[in-house]
Amino acid sequence: MGTGDTVKKLTIENLAKTYFDPFAGTQVTAIRDISLEVGAGDFVSVVGPSGCGKTTMLNMIAGFLPASGGQIRVDGRPVSGPGPDRGVVFQSFALFPWRTVLDNVAFGPKMRGIPKAKRHEIAREYLELAGLAHAAERYPNELSGGMQQRVGVVRALANEPDVLLMDEPFASVDAQTRMTLQEELTRIWQERRPTVVFITHDVAEAVFLANRVVVLSKGAVLADVPVALPRPRAWHSLIEDDAFKSLSSQVLQLVRSA
Amino acid sequence: MRRHSRLLAAVSFTLPLIGLLVAWEAIVRAFDVNPRIFPAIGPVLQAGIDALRDGTLIAHIGASLARIAIGTVIGIVLAVPLGIVMGVSPAVSTFFTPLLRFFSVLAGIAWIPIATLWFGYGFGAITFVIFNAVFFVVAYNTLLGVTSIPMALRNAAASLGAGPWQVFVEVLLPGALPNIVTGIRTGLGFAWRGLIAAEMIATNVGLGYMLFVARDFYRTEVIVLGMIIIGLLWLAIDRLLLAPLERATIERWGLVRAA
Amino acid sequence: MRSTPVGPWLRLWGAYVRWTSRWPALAALVPFVPVVVLWAVVAESGIFPRVFFPGPLEVIQSFGKLMYNGILPAYLEDSVVRLAAGTAVGMALGIPIGLLVGLSDRAHRLLWPILLFFQAIGDIAWLPILLIWFGFGLGTMTFVIVYTVLFPVVLNTVLGVRSVPIELHRAAQSLGASRARVVWEVVLPGALPNIITGLRNGLGYGWRALIAAEMIVGTSGVGFLMFDARRAGSVVEIMLGMIVLGILWYIVDSWVLAPIERATGQRWGLVTR
Repeated sequence: MGTGDTVKKLTIENLAKTYFDPFAGTQVTAIRDISLEVGAGDFVSVVGPSGCGKTTMLNMIAGFLPASGGQIRVDGRPVSGPGPDRGVVFQSFALFPWRTVLDNVAFGPKMRGIPKAKRHEIAREYLELAGLAHAAERYPNELSGGMQQRVGVVRALANEPDVLLMDEPFASVDAQTRMTLQEELTRIWQERRPTVVFITHDVAEAVFLANRVVVLSKGAVLADVPVALPRPRAWHSLIEDDAFKSLSSQVLQLVRSA
Repeated sequence: MRRHSRLLAAVSFTLPLIGLLVAWEAIVRAFDVNPRIFPAIGPVLQAGIDALRDGTLIAHIGASLARIAIGTVIGIVLAVPLGIVMGVSPAVSTFFTPLLRFFSVLAGIAWIPIATLWFGYGFGAITFVIFNAVFFVVAYNTLLGVTSIPMALRNAAASLGAGPWQVFVEVLLPGALPNIVTGIRTGLGFAWRGLIAAEMIATNVGLGYMLFVARDFYRTEVIVLGMIIIGLLWLAIDRLLLAPLERATIERWGLVRAA
Repeated sequence: MRSTPVGPWLRLWGAYVRWTSRWPALAALVPFVPVVVLWAVVAESGIFPRVFFPGPLEVIQSFGKLMYNGILPAYLEDSVVRLAAGTAVGMALGIPIGLLVGLSDRAHRLLWPILLFFQAIGDIAWLPILLIWFGFGLGTMTFVIVYTVLFPVVLNTVLGVRSVPIELHRAAQSLGASRARVVWEVVLPGALPNIITGLRNGLGYGWRALIAAEMIVGTSGVGFLMFDARRAGSVVEIMLGMIVLGILWYIVDSWVLAPIERATGQRWGLVTR
């Protein structure tokens, strides 16, 4: 659960987004009105049917898209444009193919001007966290999808962002690997406690990972469901757990009714 | 061992060429070919030695190489940044793509007449034709390369704290590099041909000139010498410059080149 | 979901996007408009002497004149016919050679270095010796174009042949196809996208070789037109020649060759380089 901070880590106030569709010849509303608060150390999953605006919202928090209305603030500072305070993990991994795994993870510290020896040390520490220390000198195209995304996650974490934004990060990975990655993510989160906003269309994944599930519908918040399941979380136990099952079906109903 | 297989590759490459030389000599002797039509190996070598001795060969090769080197370097240095800048924003790149495509399609030889009009005969016009061929083709390919970089990569860099200059150096340049190298290969190919053609028309030193003036005097052995040197030079450029460049960039990073 | 009404500029932009997605050719033409305007402005301003830098109107006038007195159509026809003839012969020779070298390992080892070397010499370097052999005439020019087109076609055909997976050969053979039929029914279609890439490259070098040959050797054709105009100091005709060439090749490459290349590649799910 979020702590009782007076300044929330991430505040979204009356966010709105419209854009012009040249083929329809009209303005289209992607986001009507979203207001949301995320406290430090929260893990919030955002779910909703296709087109509900969840990816658009994430892109706006990340600063890749400007908002048409409303405001987004991180630690009280308004957001305008991308920056290292909001780390992003992409569905397509987005690793730099011309850099080794180590150099990829060291990229953020490099941008901050940290000298080579120190940033390699930081990168190795984070690779260790993801169990990928042995792959440090490999190039991304030599790794499997699951390994690449683990690099993607620690690359964002190595920069110690205020908020970690994850855009359907495990959607491009096969089902088995996905479960492994989900469990790893919860383990890493428990160790480091970043503030996470996690977008997915998979309801079970959303409930598994988070301590809060936000359901979006037609560009606005439909429901905000707390998830009080104990940690650490593992699939083999939760998959039979009654609390998990009832939460999942509750969220699923909400998404389907949206 | 690596070195062993490289040596083997080199040998198996030269063997058919040596076979060609043998066949050449044999045919010329067997059919008693008129040396004006096609010389034997001996006269060609002799012409080569003579031209080396009186310094003309060095002068011709030097002039051609100097022109191509200068034109190519200036062309690349100007084209790459321009191509990247044009490719960054989708609106700008959509605008410039047909334009650059048109000029890269026209690049090289077609500019010889107007180049000689603007710069007179000689070094300036020829180097311009070379520069022209390299510049437009490389700029166009750079533009294509930048537009093919997935937006996620640029976003990733930005959200890891990279400023515009850092995105340029760390993402756009490496990302476009395979296309840039393809462009260099194509542009250099056009430039090389433009060089030879221009030297036949527009100057009094250089390999093209050497070929053309030899024709006037029916000195076929000089022509054949020149042709062989041109072939060897291009092979050298290809194997020693372009292929390593392609290997170091494209294959190393496992990138697929966009068409 | 409608919210704010759409302003007139946005509506115009919407119409532009819809039209150009139906007719992409429009999108290709639009950027040239400001360029031509810029050209006219620079020419008018007199920064460069008119002798060196005429404006678009003068070029159009020259175009009209040369069309009217029949010179341009005649020269164009000469150039195009030479190119077409040379290309046809180049393909007719190149595809079989490419098939042979691609299919036979021995032929490959023997001929590949020789092919690379002769390609390295380049088409234009052959002109002087061709002039000695055939004199100034059609023979010389045709040889040059055939030579130029030959190598890209051969090299790309070889690439295409070798990229046909061995399973396809085997599948055909175990369905009863003879060696010849395997080549005709499997290898050739499989290599087709690469062959067309080779044709595209070959034509790209080919028309340049043609222009060079016409400049150095010719008595007609667009290359000769430009070279002759250079001798007379008439920049307008040089520019006209360049523009005509550029437009022609742009049209052939972008709207004929590239779509064919893409269509064969995509249709058959093959990846072209």
